[in-house]
Amino acid sequence: MKLKVGVFKFTSCSGCQVELIRMNEQLPELLNLVEFKYWAMASSKLEDGPYDLALVEGAISTPECIEEVKAIREKSRVLVALGDCAVTGGVPSIRNWMSQREAETIVYPKPGCIRSTRVYGIDEYVKVDYYLKGCPPRLENILEVFKAVILGVKPRLRQHPVCVECKFYENECLLTTYKQPCMGPVTAAGCGAICPNVGRVCEGCYGPMSDPNIASMVERLKEIGLSDDEILRKFRKYAGMSKLYREVAKL
Amino acid sequence: MGGASQLFKTDLEGLDRLIRKLRSGGYVVYGPVKQGRSWFFLEIDSVKQVDLNYVRTVLPPKKLLHPPREKLFEFKLDDGFEVSEKPTPSAVALFGVHPCDLKAIERQDEFFSQTPEDPYYLARRRNTLIIGLTCTRVDENCFCLSRGTGPEVSTGFDILITDVGNGYLLEPGSAKGLELLKSLGFQEAGDEYLEAKQKLIEELKKSFTKHMPSEGLAELAKSLLDHEVWKETAERCLSCGNCSLVCPTCYCFDVYDVLELNLRSGVRVRELDSCQLLEYAEVALGGNFRRNRFQRLRHWMLCKFGAAGGGLYSSCVGCGRCIVYCPASIDLTEVAGRLRGGG
Repeated sequence: MKLKVGVFKFTSCSGCQVELIRMNEQLPELLNLVEFKYWAMASSKLEDGPYDLALVEGAISTPECIEEVKAIREKSRVLVALGDCAVTGGVPSIRNWMSQREAETIVYPKPGCIRSTRVYGIDEYVKVDYYLKGCPPRLENILEVFKAVILGVKPRLRQHPVCVECKFYENECLLTTYKQPCMGPVTAAGCGAICPNVGRVCEGCYGPMSDPNIASMVERLKEIGLSDDEILRKFRKYAGMSKLYREVAKL
Repeated sequence: MGGASQLFKTDLEGLDRLIRKLRSGGYVVYGPVKQGRSWFFLEIDSVKQVDLNYVRTVLPPKKLLHPPREKLFEFKLDDGFEVSEKPTPSAVALFGVHPCDLKAIERQDEFFSQTPEDPYYLARRRNTLIIGLTCTRVDENCFCLSRGTGPEVSTGFDILITDVGNGYLLEPGSAKGLELLKSLGFQEAGDEYLEAKQKLIEELKKSFTKHMPSEGLAELAKSLLDHEVWKETAERCLSCGNCSLVCPTCYCFDVYDVLELNLRSGVRVRELDSCQLLEYAEVALGGNFRRNRFQRLRHWMLCKFGAAGGGLYSSCVGCGRCIVYCPASIDLTEVAGRLRGGG
Protein backbone atom coordinates (compact mmCIF):
# COMPACT_ATOMS: atom_id res chain seq x y z
CA MET A 1 0.00 0.00 0.00
CA LYS A 2 1.50 3.24 -1.11
CA LEU A 3 1.28 6.32 1.05
CA LYS A 4 -1.32 8.73 -0.34
CA VAL A 5 0.24 12.16 -0.40
CA GLY A 6 -1.16 15.61 -1.06
CA VAL A 7 0.97 18.70 -1.59
CA PHE A 8 -0.78 22.05 -1.04
CA LYS A 9 0.23 25.65 -1.35
CA PHE A 10 -0.88 28.88 0.28
CA THR A 11 0.96 32.23 0.47
CA SER A 12 4.52 31.41 -0.58
CA CYS A 13 7.00 31.45 -3.45
CA SER A 14 6.70 27.69 -4.21
CA GLY A 15 10.39 27.24 -3.51
CA CYS A 16 9.71 24.45 -1.03
CA GLN A 17 7.86 22.47 -3.69
CA VAL A 18 10.73 23.15 -6.07
CA GLU A 19 13.04 21.62 -3.45
CA LEU A 20 10.79 18.55 -3.51
CA ILE A 21 10.88 18.37 -7.30
CA ARG A 22 14.65 18.76 -7.18
CA MET A 23 14.98 15.21 -5.84
CA ASN A 24 15.49 14.07 -9.45
CA GLU A 25 17.03 10.61 -9.41
CA GLN A 26 15.48 9.79 -6.04
CA LEU A 27 11.99 10.40 -7.38
CA PRO A 28 11.48 6.91 -8.92
CA GLU A 29 12.49 5.37 -5.58
CA LEU A 30 10.11 7.60 -3.71
CA LEU A 31 7.34 6.73 -6.15
CA ASN A 32 7.69 3.09 -5.11
CA LEU A 33 6.59 4.19 -1.67
CA VAL A 34 4.17 7.02 -2.22
CA GLU A 35 1.49 8.12 -4.61
CA PHE A 36 0.98 11.82 -5.15
CA LYS A 37 -2.80 12.21 -5.16
CA TYR A 38 -2.75 15.96 -5.21
CA TRP A 39 0.21 18.06 -6.30
CA ALA A 40 -0.76 20.86 -8.65
CA MET A 41 2.81 21.80 -9.46
CA ALA A 42 3.60 18.29 -10.69
CA SER A 43 0.36 17.03 -12.24
CA SER A 44 -2.98 18.40 -13.44
CA LYS A 45 -4.67 15.22 -12.24
CA LEU A 46 -5.86 16.22 -8.80
CA GLU A 47 -7.61 13.70 -6.57
CA ASP A 48 -9.52 14.42 -3.44
CA GLY A 49 -8.52 12.91 -0.06
CA PRO A 50 -8.27 11.26 2.34
CA TYR A 51 -4.49 11.59 2.42
CA ASP A 52 -2.03 9.72 4.59
CA LEU A 53 0.32 12.67 4.44
CA ALA A 54 -0.31 16.30 3.56
CA LEU A 55 2.60 18.64 2.91
CA VAL A 56 1.41 22.18 3.26
CA GLU A 57 3.49 25.02 1.89
CA GLY A 58 2.75 28.68 2.52
CA ALA A 59 1.36 31.05 5.07
CA ILE A 60 -2.30 31.65 5.81
CA SER A 61 -3.26 35.16 4.74
CA THR A 62 -6.89 35.19 3.60
CA PRO A 63 -10.19 33.96 5.01
CA GLU A 64 -10.36 31.42 2.14
CA CYS A 65 -6.96 29.98 3.14
CA ILE A 66 -8.25 29.42 6.67
CA GLU A 67 -11.16 27.35 5.41
CA GLU A 68 -8.99 25.42 2.96
CA VAL A 69 -6.28 24.50 5.43
CA LYS A 70 -8.91 23.29 7.90
CA ALA A 71 -10.45 21.13 5.16
CA ILE A 72 -7.02 19.68 4.32
CA ARG A 73 -6.43 18.88 7.97
CA GLU A 74 -9.68 16.96 8.15
CA LYS A 75 -8.72 14.87 5.16
CA SER A 76 -5.16 14.10 6.30
CA ARG A 77 -3.77 11.61 8.78
CA VAL A 78 -0.39 13.36 9.12
CA LEU A 79 -0.03 17.04 8.33
CA VAL A 80 3.36 18.64 7.80
CA ALA A 81 4.19 22.34 7.59
CA LEU A 82 6.54 22.51 4.62
CA GLY A 83 8.89 25.45 5.00
CA ASP A 84 9.02 28.71 6.95
CA CYS A 85 5.84 30.27 5.53
CA ALA A 86 3.77 27.32 6.70
CA VAL A 87 5.76 27.03 9.94
CA THR A 88 5.60 30.64 11.15
CA GLY A 89 4.39 32.83 8.30
CA GLY A 90 7.92 33.23 6.96
CA VAL A 91 8.97 36.12 4.72
CA PRO A 92 5.35 37.09 3.81
CA SER A 93 4.73 37.77 7.50
CA ILE A 94 6.94 40.88 7.43
CA ARG A 95 3.86 42.73 6.29
CA ASN A 96 2.33 42.18 9.72
CA TRP A 97 4.42 45.09 10.92
CA MET A 98 2.64 47.58 8.69
CA SER A 99 -1.01 48.36 8.34
CA GLN A 100 -3.14 46.22 6.06
CA ARG A 101 -3.97 49.30 4.00
CA GLU A 102 -0.31 50.23 3.56
CA ALA A 103 0.65 46.74 2.42
CA GLU A 104 -2.26 46.47 0.03
CA THR A 105 -1.63 49.81 -1.67
CA ILE A 106 2.07 49.04 -2.19
CA VAL A 107 1.16 45.93 -4.19
CA TYR A 108 -2.23 46.51 -5.79
CA PRO A 109 -3.31 49.55 -7.77
CA LYS A 110 -6.93 48.92 -6.78
CA PRO A 111 -6.95 47.08 -3.47
CA GLY A 112 -10.73 47.26 -3.15
CA CYS A 113 -11.24 43.53 -3.71
CA ILE A 114 -8.38 42.39 -1.45
CA ARG A 115 -9.50 40.58 1.70
CA SER A 116 -6.39 39.55 3.51
CA THR A 117 -5.77 38.79 7.16
CA ARG A 118 -2.73 38.97 9.36
CA VAL A 119 -0.19 36.40 8.08
CA TYR A 120 0.25 33.30 10.19
CA GLY A 121 1.82 29.89 9.97
CA ILE A 122 -0.70 27.11 9.53
CA ASP A 123 -0.66 25.99 13.16
CA GLU A 124 -2.53 29.14 14.07
CA TYR A 125 -5.53 27.28 12.62
CA VAL A 126 -4.78 23.55 12.48
CA LYS A 127 -2.80 20.96 14.39
CA VAL A 128 0.57 20.31 12.75
CA ASP A 129 2.31 16.97 13.23
CA TYR A 130 5.78 17.88 11.96
CA TYR A 131 7.49 21.13 11.08
CA LEU A 132 9.94 21.27 8.20
CA LYS A 133 11.76 24.50 8.93
CA GLY A 134 13.79 26.36 6.35
CA CYS A 135 13.53 28.63 3.38
CA PRO A 136 13.42 26.14 1.77
CA PRO A 137 13.77 23.02 3.94
CA ARG A 138 16.60 20.84 2.81
CA LEU A 139 15.56 17.91 0.62
CA GLU A 140 17.09 15.33 2.96
CA ASN A 141 14.87 16.64 5.77
CA ILE A 142 11.78 16.39 3.57
CA LEU A 143 12.70 12.81 2.68
CA GLU A 144 13.31 12.07 6.36
CA VAL A 145 9.67 12.95 7.01
CA PHE A 146 8.45 10.69 4.17
CA LYS A 147 10.49 7.78 5.53
CA ALA A 148 9.42 8.39 9.13
CA VAL A 149 5.72 8.57 8.24
CA ILE A 150 5.94 5.33 6.26
CA LEU A 151 7.77 3.59 9.09
CA GLY A 152 5.58 5.13 11.78
CA VAL A 153 8.51 6.65 13.68
CA LYS A 154 9.39 10.17 14.74
CA PRO A 155 11.47 11.97 12.09
CA ARG A 156 14.94 13.09 13.11
CA LEU A 157 14.77 16.84 12.54
CA ARG A 158 17.45 18.94 14.18
CA GLN A 159 16.34 21.56 16.65
CA HIS A 160 19.79 22.49 17.95
CA PRO A 161 21.59 25.57 16.58
CA VAL A 162 23.41 26.01 13.28
CA CYS A 163 26.66 26.39 15.29
CA VAL A 164 26.69 22.61 15.76
CA GLU A 165 26.74 21.86 12.05
CA CYS A 166 29.06 24.81 11.45
CA LYS A 167 31.63 23.34 13.85
CA PHE A 168 31.30 19.95 12.16
CA TYR A 169 32.60 21.66 9.03
CA GLU A 170 35.22 23.55 11.07
CA ASN A 171 34.28 26.90 9.62
CA GLU A 172 35.93 29.99 11.01
CA CYS A 173 33.47 31.52 13.45
CA LEU A 174 31.98 34.57 11.75
CA LEU A 175 30.57 35.91 15.00
CA THR A 176 33.54 35.52 17.36
CA THR A 177 36.44 35.77 14.90
CA TYR A 178 35.04 38.26 12.39
CA LYS A 179 32.44 40.09 14.53
CA GLN A 180 29.82 39.57 11.84
CA PRO A 181 26.11 39.38 12.73
CA CYS A 182 25.66 35.63 12.37
CA MET A 183 22.32 34.29 13.62
CA GLY A 184 23.74 30.77 13.99
CA PRO A 185 23.59 30.64 17.81
CA VAL A 186 19.79 31.03 17.90
CA THR A 187 18.82 29.41 14.59
CA ALA A 188 17.69 25.81 14.17
CA ALA A 189 20.07 23.61 12.22
CA GLY A 190 19.21 21.20 9.45
CA CYS A 191 20.55 23.27 6.58
CA GLY A 192 24.07 21.87 6.92
CA ALA A 193 25.42 25.36 7.73
CA ILE A 194 25.38 26.12 4.02
CA CYS A 195 25.81 29.89 4.41
CA PRO A 196 28.75 29.85 6.87
CA ASN A 197 30.29 27.12 4.70
CA VAL A 198 30.76 29.76 2.02
CA GLY A 199 31.74 32.52 4.43
CA ARG A 200 28.30 34.12 4.73
CA VAL A 201 26.54 34.73 8.03
CA CYS A 202 23.53 32.63 8.96
CA GLU A 203 20.43 34.67 8.07
CA GLY A 204 18.28 32.67 10.43
CA CYS A 205 16.10 31.08 7.76
CA TYR A 206 15.31 27.95 9.81
CA GLY A 207 13.79 30.10 12.53
CA PRO A 208 14.45 29.70 16.25
CA MET A 209 16.23 26.66 17.66
CA SER A 210 14.74 24.65 20.52
CA ASP A 211 15.81 26.92 23.37
CA PRO A 212 17.25 30.17 22.02
CA ASN A 213 18.71 32.70 24.43
CA ILE A 214 17.25 35.68 22.63
CA ALA A 215 18.22 38.31 25.19
CA SER A 216 21.86 37.25 25.03
CA MET A 217 21.81 37.14 21.23
CA VAL A 218 20.48 40.69 21.14
CA GLU A 219 23.38 41.72 23.40
CA ARG A 220 25.91 39.98 21.13
CA LEU A 221 24.51 41.78 18.07
CA LYS A 222 24.67 45.10 19.91
CA GLU A 223 28.28 44.41 20.90
CA ILE A 224 29.32 44.11 17.30
CA GLY A 225 27.59 47.37 16.46
CA LEU A 226 24.13 46.58 15.14
CA SER A 227 21.44 49.18 15.75
CA ASP A 228 18.18 48.31 17.46
CA ASP A 229 16.43 48.54 14.12
CA GLU A 230 18.90 46.20 12.43
CA ILE A 231 18.46 43.70 15.25
CA LEU A 232 14.70 43.92 14.95
CA ARG A 233 14.89 43.12 11.24
CA LYS A 234 17.20 40.16 11.92
CA PHE A 235 14.52 38.53 14.05
CA ARG A 236 11.60 39.55 11.86
CA LYS A 237 13.04 38.44 8.57
CA TYR A 238 12.05 34.77 8.58
CA ALA A 239 10.35 33.94 11.84
CA GLY A 240 9.11 37.11 13.52
CA MET A 241 5.73 35.45 14.02
CA SER A 242 7.17 32.39 15.75
CA LYS A 243 6.07 32.27 19.36
CA LEU A 244 9.69 32.46 20.51
CA TYR A 245 10.50 35.58 18.48
CA ARG A 246 7.27 37.57 18.79
CA GLU A 247 8.48 39.52 21.77
CA VAL A 248 11.88 40.47 20.34
CA ALA A 249 10.27 41.17 16.96
CA LYS A 250 7.88 43.55 18.75
CA LEU A 251 4.66 42.15 17.40
CA MET B 1 63.05 15.38 30.41
CA GLY B 2 64.26 13.15 27.65
CA GLY B 3 66.21 11.13 30.20
CA ALA B 4 68.70 8.72 28.76
CA SER B 5 66.92 8.55 25.42
CA GLN B 6 68.66 9.64 22.27
CA LEU B 7 68.12 13.20 21.12
CA PHE B 8 68.39 14.48 17.58
CA LYS B 9 68.59 17.80 15.85
CA THR B 10 67.69 19.10 12.44
CA ASP B 11 66.75 22.20 10.45
CA LEU B 12 63.62 23.21 8.56
CA GLU B 13 64.70 21.14 5.58
CA GLY B 14 65.01 18.15 7.89
CA LEU B 15 61.43 18.62 9.07
CA ASP B 16 60.41 18.68 5.43
CA ARG B 17 62.23 15.39 4.88
CA LEU B 18 60.40 13.95 7.87
CA ILE B 19 57.04 14.88 6.34
CA ARG B 20 58.04 13.49 2.94
CA LYS B 21 59.26 10.29 4.57
CA LEU B 22 55.94 9.86 6.37
CA ARG B 23 54.03 10.45 3.16
CA SER B 24 56.12 7.97 1.21
CA GLY B 25 55.53 5.52 4.07
CA GLY B 26 51.80 5.70 3.45
CA TYR B 27 50.84 8.26 6.07
CA VAL B 28 48.38 11.03 5.34
CA VAL B 29 50.03 13.92 7.17
CA TYR B 30 48.04 16.68 8.88
CA GLY B 31 49.57 19.85 10.26
CA PRO B 32 48.51 23.29 11.53
CA VAL B 33 47.82 25.53 8.54
CA LYS B 34 46.66 29.14 8.69
CA GLN B 35 43.61 30.04 6.61
CA GLY B 36 41.87 33.36 7.05
CA ARG B 37 42.40 34.36 10.66
CA SER B 38 42.44 30.84 12.08
CA TRP B 39 44.50 27.67 12.10
CA PHE B 40 43.28 24.23 11.07
CA PHE B 41 44.77 20.76 11.01
CA LEU B 42 44.82 20.15 7.27
CA GLU B 43 46.53 17.66 5.02
CA ILE B 44 50.03 18.83 4.19
CA ASP B 45 52.86 17.64 1.95
CA SER B 46 55.52 20.10 3.03
CA VAL B 47 56.58 21.93 6.17
CA LYS B 48 56.25 25.13 4.16
CA GLN B 49 52.45 24.91 4.49
CA VAL B 50 52.68 24.67 8.25
CA ASP B 51 52.73 27.57 10.70
CA LEU B 52 55.14 26.35 13.36
CA ASN B 53 54.28 29.39 15.47
CA TYR B 54 50.56 28.71 15.57
CA VAL B 55 48.63 29.11 18.79
CA ARG B 56 45.56 26.87 18.48
CA THR B 57 43.46 25.36 15.72
CA VAL B 58 39.65 25.78 15.55
CA LEU B 59 39.03 22.06 16.06
CA PRO B 60 41.56 20.02 18.02
CA PRO B 61 43.28 17.06 16.34
CA LYS B 62 40.50 15.03 17.97
CA LYS B 63 38.64 15.59 14.71
CA LEU B 64 40.86 12.98 13.05
CA LEU B 65 40.51 10.39 15.80
CA HIS B 66 36.94 10.98 16.97
CA PRO B 67 35.47 12.75 13.93
CA PRO B 68 32.52 15.12 14.29
CA ARG B 69 30.52 12.84 12.01
CA GLU B 70 31.39 9.36 10.79
CA LYS B 71 29.67 6.43 9.13
CA LEU B 72 30.18 3.43 11.38
CA PHE B 73 28.84 0.79 9.02
CA GLU B 74 26.36 0.07 6.26
CA PHE B 75 23.48 -2.33 6.70
CA LYS B 76 21.17 -4.10 4.34
CA LEU B 77 18.05 -6.10 4.92
CA ASP B 78 17.74 -8.79 2.29
CA ASP B 79 17.13 -12.45 3.00
CA GLY B 80 19.05 -11.90 6.17
CA PHE B 81 20.64 -8.93 7.79
CA GLU B 82 23.91 -7.83 6.24
CA VAL B 83 26.37 -5.44 7.85
CA SER B 84 29.46 -4.15 6.12
CA GLU B 85 32.09 -2.55 8.28
CA LYS B 86 34.33 0.14 7.00
CA PRO B 87 37.80 -0.84 5.81
CA THR B 88 40.71 -0.22 8.17
CA PRO B 89 41.37 3.50 8.28
CA SER B 90 44.41 4.84 6.46
CA ALA B 91 47.50 5.68 8.47
CA VAL B 92 47.52 9.27 9.71
CA ALA B 93 50.41 11.33 11.02
CA LEU B 94 49.54 14.36 13.13
CA PHE B 95 52.34 16.86 12.73
CA GLY B 96 52.78 19.73 15.17
CA VAL B 97 50.43 18.84 18.01
CA HIS B 98 50.81 21.11 21.06
CA PRO B 99 51.16 19.72 24.61
CA CYS B 100 47.56 20.51 25.65
CA ASP B 101 46.23 18.57 22.67
CA LEU B 102 48.71 15.72 23.28
CA LYS B 103 47.39 15.39 26.83
CA ALA B 104 43.82 15.51 25.54
CA ILE B 105 44.54 12.67 23.11
CA GLU B 106 46.01 10.64 25.98
CA ARG B 107 42.76 11.11 27.90
CA GLN B 108 40.66 10.13 24.90
CA ASP B 109 42.89 7.05 24.45
CA GLU B 110 42.27 6.00 28.02
CA PHE B 111 38.56 6.70 27.81
CA PHE B 112 37.98 4.78 24.58
CA SER B 113 40.18 1.87 25.78
CA GLN B 114 37.92 1.14 28.72
CA THR B 115 35.67 -1.88 28.54
CA PRO B 116 33.81 -2.01 26.27
CA GLU B 117 36.51 -0.75 23.97
CA ASP B 118 35.56 1.59 21.16
CA PRO B 119 36.76 -0.26 18.04
CA TYR B 120 36.26 2.71 15.73
CA TYR B 121 38.38 5.08 17.77
CA LEU B 122 41.04 2.51 18.55
CA ALA B 123 41.39 1.35 14.94
CA ARG B 124 42.18 4.92 13.93
CA ARG B 125 44.39 5.57 16.92
CA ARG B 126 46.54 2.49 16.25
CA ASN B 127 47.13 3.82 12.76
CA THR B 128 48.11 7.27 13.99
CA LEU B 129 51.58 8.63 14.50
CA ILE B 130 51.85 11.77 16.60
CA ILE B 131 54.52 14.40 16.24
CA GLY B 132 54.27 16.92 19.03
CA LEU B 133 55.46 20.49 18.89
CA THR B 134 56.50 22.59 21.87
CA CYS B 135 54.70 25.93 21.76
CA THR B 136 56.68 28.99 20.80
CA ARG B 137 54.22 31.40 22.35
CA VAL B 138 51.37 31.62 24.79
CA ASP B 139 48.32 33.81 24.29
CA GLU B 140 45.89 35.36 26.77
CA ASN B 141 43.62 32.32 26.64
CA CYS B 142 46.24 29.60 27.21
CA PHE B 143 46.28 28.07 30.69
CA CYS B 144 47.88 24.63 30.33
CA LEU B 145 50.52 25.55 32.93
CA SER B 146 47.97 25.61 35.74
CA ARG B 147 46.38 22.39 34.48
CA GLY B 148 49.68 20.50 34.49
CA THR B 149 49.29 19.75 30.78
CA GLY B 150 52.01 22.02 29.38
CA PRO B 151 54.05 23.76 28.20
CA GLU B 152 56.34 20.86 29.06
CA VAL B 153 55.26 17.39 28.05
CA SER B 154 56.97 14.02 28.41
CA THR B 155 54.44 11.55 26.99
CA GLY B 156 51.76 11.33 24.33
CA PHE B 157 53.96 11.67 21.25
CA ASP B 158 56.10 9.53 18.98
CA ILE B 159 58.38 12.48 18.31
CA LEU B 160 58.48 15.89 19.96
CA ILE B 161 59.82 18.86 18.04
CA THR B 162 61.10 21.97 19.80
CA ASP B 163 62.27 25.08 18.02
CA VAL B 164 65.37 26.09 19.97
CA GLY B 165 66.19 29.08 17.81
CA ASN B 166 69.13 27.84 15.77
CA GLY B 167 67.54 24.50 14.93
CA TYR B 168 65.00 21.93 16.01
CA LEU B 169 65.41 19.48 18.85
CA LEU B 170 63.79 16.12 18.13
CA GLU B 171 62.95 13.84 21.05
CA PRO B 172 61.65 10.33 20.43
CA GLY B 173 58.69 9.32 22.58
CA SER B 174 58.24 5.79 21.26
CA ALA B 175 60.17 3.02 19.54
CA LYS B 176 58.44 3.96 16.32
CA GLY B 177 59.51 7.56 16.70
CA LEU B 178 63.10 6.63 17.48
CA GLU B 179 63.29 4.34 14.47
CA LEU B 180 61.94 7.08 12.24
CA LEU B 181 64.48 9.63 13.49
CA LYS B 182 67.34 7.18 13.00
CA SER B 183 66.20 6.27 9.53
CA LEU B 184 66.32 9.91 8.51
CA GLY B 185 69.94 10.13 9.51
CA PHE B 186 69.47 13.13 11.81
CA GLN B 187 72.47 14.07 13.88
CA GLU B 188 72.43 13.56 17.60
CA ALA B 189 71.78 16.70 19.60
CA GLY B 190 74.10 17.78 22.37
CA ASP B 191 73.12 18.94 25.85
CA GLU B 192 73.02 22.54 24.67
CA TYR B 193 69.83 21.71 22.77
CA LEU B 194 68.15 20.42 25.89
CA GLU B 195 69.33 23.43 27.84
CA ALA B 196 67.99 25.75 25.16
CA LYS B 197 64.65 23.96 25.32
CA GLN B 198 64.56 24.25 29.08
CA LYS B 199 65.23 27.96 28.82
CA LEU B 200 62.40 28.33 26.30
CA ILE B 201 60.00 26.46 28.59
CA GLU B 202 60.93 28.69 31.53
CA GLU B 203 60.28 31.76 29.39
CA LEU B 204 56.94 30.37 28.26
CA LYS B 205 55.91 29.69 31.85
CA LYS B 206 56.39 33.35 32.67
CA SER B 207 54.00 34.48 29.94
CA PHE B 208 50.84 32.77 31.18
CA THR B 209 48.19 35.22 32.36
CA LYS B 210 45.29 32.80 32.75
CA HIS B 211 45.19 30.09 35.40
CA MET B 212 42.79 27.41 36.56
CA PRO B 213 44.54 25.13 39.04
CA SER B 214 43.09 21.65 39.43
CA GLU B 215 43.72 21.31 43.15
CA GLY B 216 40.44 20.74 44.94
CA LEU B 217 38.43 22.23 42.09
CA ALA B 218 36.31 19.14 41.38
CA GLU B 219 35.32 18.73 45.02
CA LEU B 220 34.68 22.43 45.44
CA ALA B 221 32.47 22.62 42.34
CA LYS B 222 30.48 19.58 43.45
CA SER B 223 29.84 21.19 46.82
CA LEU B 224 28.66 24.47 45.24
CA LEU B 225 25.90 23.32 42.91
CA ASP B 226 23.68 26.16 44.11
CA HIS B 227 26.31 28.89 43.72
CA GLU B 228 24.91 31.99 42.03
CA VAL B 229 27.64 31.93 39.38
CA TRP B 230 25.85 29.16 37.45
CA LYS B 231 22.62 31.07 36.89
CA GLU B 232 24.41 34.36 36.35
CA THR B 233 26.65 32.91 33.68
CA ALA B 234 23.75 31.05 32.07
CA GLU B 235 22.03 34.37 31.43
CA ARG B 236 24.71 35.03 28.83
CA CYS B 237 25.04 31.43 27.61
CA LEU B 238 23.54 30.84 24.16
CA SER B 239 23.52 27.02 24.50
CA CYS B 240 25.11 26.97 21.06
CA GLY B 241 27.38 24.06 21.95
CA ASN B 242 30.53 25.69 20.59
CA CYS B 243 32.45 25.19 23.85
CA SER B 244 32.02 21.45 23.83
CA LEU B 245 32.33 21.02 20.08
CA VAL B 246 35.79 22.63 20.03
CA CYS B 247 36.90 20.95 23.26
CA PRO B 248 39.70 18.40 22.84
CA THR B 249 38.45 16.24 25.73
CA CYS B 250 34.68 16.22 25.10
CA TYR B 251 33.83 12.80 23.74
CA CYS B 252 30.04 12.58 23.95
CA PHE B 253 28.38 11.37 20.79
CA ASP B 254 25.02 10.42 19.35
CA VAL B 255 24.32 7.42 17.12
CA TYR B 256 21.53 7.21 14.56
CA ASP B 257 20.55 5.38 11.39
CA VAL B 258 19.96 6.94 8.01
CA LEU B 259 17.78 4.78 5.80
CA GLU B 260 17.87 4.82 2.03
CA LEU B 261 14.59 5.40 0.26
CA ASN B 262 14.35 1.68 -0.43
CA LEU B 263 13.84 1.35 3.35
CA ARG B 264 16.00 -1.80 3.26
CA SER B 265 19.50 -0.44 3.47
CA GLY B 266 21.22 2.42 5.18
CA VAL B 267 24.11 3.64 7.26
CA ARG B 268 24.68 3.99 10.96
CA VAL B 269 26.13 7.36 11.77
CA ARG B 270 27.84 8.63 14.85
CA GLU B 271 28.30 12.31 15.46
CA LEU B 272 29.50 14.54 18.23
CA ASP B 273 26.82 15.62 20.62
CA SER B 274 26.89 18.44 23.14
CA CYS B 275 25.50 18.55 26.67
CA GLN B 276 24.74 22.24 26.04
CA LEU B 277 21.92 21.32 23.68
CA LEU B 278 18.39 20.94 25.04
CA GLU B 279 17.93 17.62 23.22
CA TYR B 280 20.99 16.02 24.83
CA ALA B 281 19.28 15.02 28.08
CA GLU B 282 15.85 14.49 26.57
CA VAL B 283 14.20 11.14 27.14
CA ALA B 284 10.97 9.48 26.04
CA LEU B 285 7.72 11.42 26.37
CA GLY B 286 9.63 14.70 26.40
CA GLY B 287 11.24 14.31 29.81
CA ASN B 288 14.50 16.19 30.21
CA PHE B 289 17.07 15.95 32.98
CA ARG B 290 18.64 19.30 32.19
CA ARG B 291 15.88 21.47 30.84
CA ASN B 292 17.25 24.68 32.29
CA ARG B 293 20.17 26.38 30.61
CA PHE B 294 22.10 26.82 33.86
CA GLN B 295 21.91 23.07 34.48
CA ARG B 296 23.51 22.38 31.12
CA LEU B 297 26.18 25.02 31.55
CA ARG B 298 26.92 23.77 35.05
CA HIS B 299 27.08 20.20 33.85
CA TRP B 300 29.66 21.00 31.18
CA MET B 301 31.81 23.04 33.51
CA LEU B 302 31.66 20.38 36.24
CA CYS B 303 32.83 17.93 33.61
CA LYS B 304 35.75 20.17 32.64
CA PHE B 305 36.59 20.64 36.34
CA GLY B 306 36.81 16.83 36.60
CA ALA B 307 33.66 16.59 38.71
CA ALA B 308 31.32 14.81 36.31
CA GLY B 309 31.06 11.17 35.26
CA GLY B 310 33.97 11.53 32.88
CA GLY B 311 36.34 12.34 35.73
CA LEU B 312 39.82 13.07 34.48
CA TYR B 313 39.09 11.68 31.00
CA SER B 314 36.99 14.65 30.00
CA SER B 315 38.57 17.30 32.20
CA CYS B 316 40.12 20.52 30.94
CA VAL B 317 43.63 20.66 29.47
CA GLY B 318 43.73 24.45 29.25
CA CYS B 319 43.79 24.89 25.47
CA GLY B 320 41.50 27.94 25.66
CA ARG B 321 39.31 27.02 22.69
CA CYS B 322 36.01 27.22 24.61
CA ILE B 323 36.87 30.76 25.67
CA VAL B 324 37.92 31.87 22.18
CA TYR B 325 34.85 30.42 20.46
CA CYS B 326 32.20 31.38 22.99
CA PRO B 327 30.04 34.06 21.30
CA ALA B 328 29.04 35.25 24.78
CA SER B 329 32.64 35.54 26.09
CA ILE B 330 32.06 33.00 28.85
CA ASP B 331 35.32 32.01 30.48
CA LEU B 332 35.37 28.84 32.58
CA THR B 333 38.50 29.99 34.41
CA GLU B 334 36.51 32.99 35.68
CA VAL B 335 33.75 30.67 36.86
CA ALA B 336 36.33 28.53 38.65
CA GLY B 337 37.72 31.70 40.23
CA ARG B 338 34.25 32.69 41.45
CA LEU B 339 33.78 29.25 43.00
CA ARG B 340 37.07 29.68 44.81
CA GLY B 341 35.70 32.85 46.27
CA GLY B 342 37.43 35.38 44.06
CA GLY B 343 34.77 37.96 43.20
